[in-house]
Amino acid sequence: MATVSLRNITKRYNDNEVLHDVSLDIGDREFMVLVGPSGCGKSTLLRMVAGLEEISEGEILIDGRIVNHLPPRDREIAMVFQDYALYPHMTVEENMSFGLRLRDMPRAVIEERVAEAAGILQIKPLLKRRPRQLSGGQRQRVAIGRAIVRKPKVFLFDEPLSNLDAKLREEMRIEIAKLHQRLHTTIIYVTHDQVEAMTLARRIAVVNSGRLQQVGPPEEVFCRPANLFVAGFIGSPTMNFFSGELLDEGDGPLFRNPAMSVRLPGLAEGEPPKAAVGVAGRPVVIGIRPDDLAAGGPEAPGPLRGTIEVVELLGHRRNLHLKVGKYDMLATVDASFEGRPGDQVSLRLDPARVHLFDEPSQARIALAG
Amino acid sequence: MSSAGDISAREQYQAVLRARRRREALVTAFIHAGLILGAVVSIYPLVRIFSVSLRPGDRIISTDLSLIPAGASFISYLQVLRDTNFLLWLWNSLVITSATSVIGVALAALGGYAFSRFRFPGHKAGLAFLLGNQMIPAAMLLLPLFLMIMKLGLVNTYMGMIVAYSVTSLPFSIWILKGYYDTIPRSLEEAALVDGTTRFGAFVRIILPLSTPALAIAFLFNFTQAWNEYLVARVVLTDARMYTWTLGLFELQGQYLTQWGMFAAASIMVTLPVLAVFLYSSKWLMSGLTLGGVKG
Repeated sequence: MATVSLRNITKRYNDNEVLHDVSLDIGDREFMVLVGPSGCGKSTLLRMVAGLEEISEGEILIDGRIVNHLPPRDREIAMVFQDYALYPHMTVEENMSFGLRLRDMPRAVIEERVAEAAGILQIKPLLKRRPRQLSGGQRQRVAIGRAIVRKPKVFLFDEPLSNLDAKLREEMRIEIAKLHQRLHTTIIYVTHDQVEAMTLARRIAVVNSGRLQQVGPPEEVFCRPANLFVAGFIGSPTMNFFSGELLDEGDGPLFRNPAMSVRLPGLAEGEPPKAAVGVAGRPVVIGIRPDDLAAGGPEAPGPLRGTIEVVELLGHRRNLHLKVGKYDMLATVDASFEGRPGDQVSLRLDPARVHLFDEPSQARIALAG
Repeated sequence: MSSAGDISAREQYQAVLRARRRREALVTAFIHAGLILGAVVSIYPLVRIFSVSLRPGDRIISTDLSLIPAGASFISYLQVLRDTNFLLWLWNSLVITSATSVIGVALAALGGYAFSRFRFPGHKAGLAFLLGNQMIPAAMLLLPLFLMIMKLGLVNTYMGMIVAYSVTSLPFSIWILKGYYDTIPRSLEEAALVDGTTRFGAFVRIILPLSTPALAIAFLFNFTQAWNEYLVARVVLTDARMYTWTLGLFELQGQYLTQWGMFAAASIMVTLPVLAVFLYSSKWLMSGLTLGGVKG
């Protein structure tokens, strides 16, 4: 059990800086998910914790000890790789016991630990097989088993589910969640899949272009995204964004662009931060999650009016792809809504659920309430 | 109407299938004919030599083409073993070739790994240099090689031959092994590093066992090169007691009379060790060992 601290981590390949001054504290037994698009630097960050990449600047501490110059074997970590990385010439049992054998553990202890991990992961019948005789899901279990037997201080997962098909991915996700509840070990988990991040994490760290964008519990990242990138990346389907200006007309701030005007609740105290301009005329972007929109007939009241372009039935919900003025918009409404392409609809929304962002800095402007 | 259409569609489909099968059978027949021709061309000289080795001494120049000649005997084999230093030549060849193969493969295994896994100044140039080296004919290297071996005081020694052979085979072996290591995912070594090995430990425990097909090919290459080499041996070895079989066999060729029967018998006998090494290595040559360790 251990804490992991990243302090002002920078990574450069020649002159190309891929991580910029990243600092992050991961608590004991915490399940921290690093999420971000491909190439954002999240895997590099994980590999630096593992000791597989050199650190250009900054410090990494595991349990308060600086590990910058320790080789991977001395960091008391275990890692599950995206491509499983099972040793093809060894049986499942040999794969799992490899790390223990290297540490000259007594045979009885090795057998006990392998049996225990195999029991947890339900791979006991596979112990004598070689990796090529296993399915993708089984290989991933073995890879996790190989990490578990070591009883490391920290587990590192590098996109462990991205090679599995959708159904298996869901199963393994639940397995990993159960595993964390059972083992209570610090886990750092890298993924580009925001659903994995939302469902597994105790805290999420959103990374983009080598910078931490926001760190917080899943609800916070979802409900109060720190900036436009986080708002767009977290949540499926993606949030709708509209540019416009913020006006102050006495009864509180009003968002307006040629296609819509939305009355917003008052700004939170102290907002907008570092106001270079006043509220009036400030260029802003509003974000509306498709789930927060409700559709009604053309006569129904609502601040937005649009034309349906495409309707997708998802089962209990229906995706409406709309044109609102010159803007594209997606609304996810109840499946009972009967609208067809070409129909006019009015859209209602709860102003308290609108997200407001400063356009130049892309940062969130907090609303009251 | 529709059922008639179905039948004609099915017939058409079957006709296409039949045509395809005929085409495939024809292609297979051509390929087999080519392979059989190649095999015959390769094996025929060996069969002729074997035939010559069985001829009695007075019929060596006979134009008889029968495989087992009239009066066939193993007398030439006996003569080679009894009347020449054949066993000594064989021993010399065996020592030099075995040491060359082991040292050559060991050096190439490490060199290939460095070229495959590390980026260092001169990486590309080094690889190009190794490849360029292979393009220089052996005869051109002869003089510098001899001068170096002479200066090192290694003329007429096993060591001189081993050094000469190992270094000349090294570039090719390094390329073979580097190419093979490149196909082994790095994540396997990284997993081993995290599991607790050193970099060298990961190489020995993970990479080498997975590279047996390439190691076997490099070994065979080194072995056959050194075993059959004549030119360098002719220059470096002047003492008859140090002769390899290639030099020894040449001794059988006199100015006025060549002992063709003995020559042929010795030729057959020297192919046996190579054959044995080939048969033994074939089990290491199986490929696909790395399949299944990582997601493809």
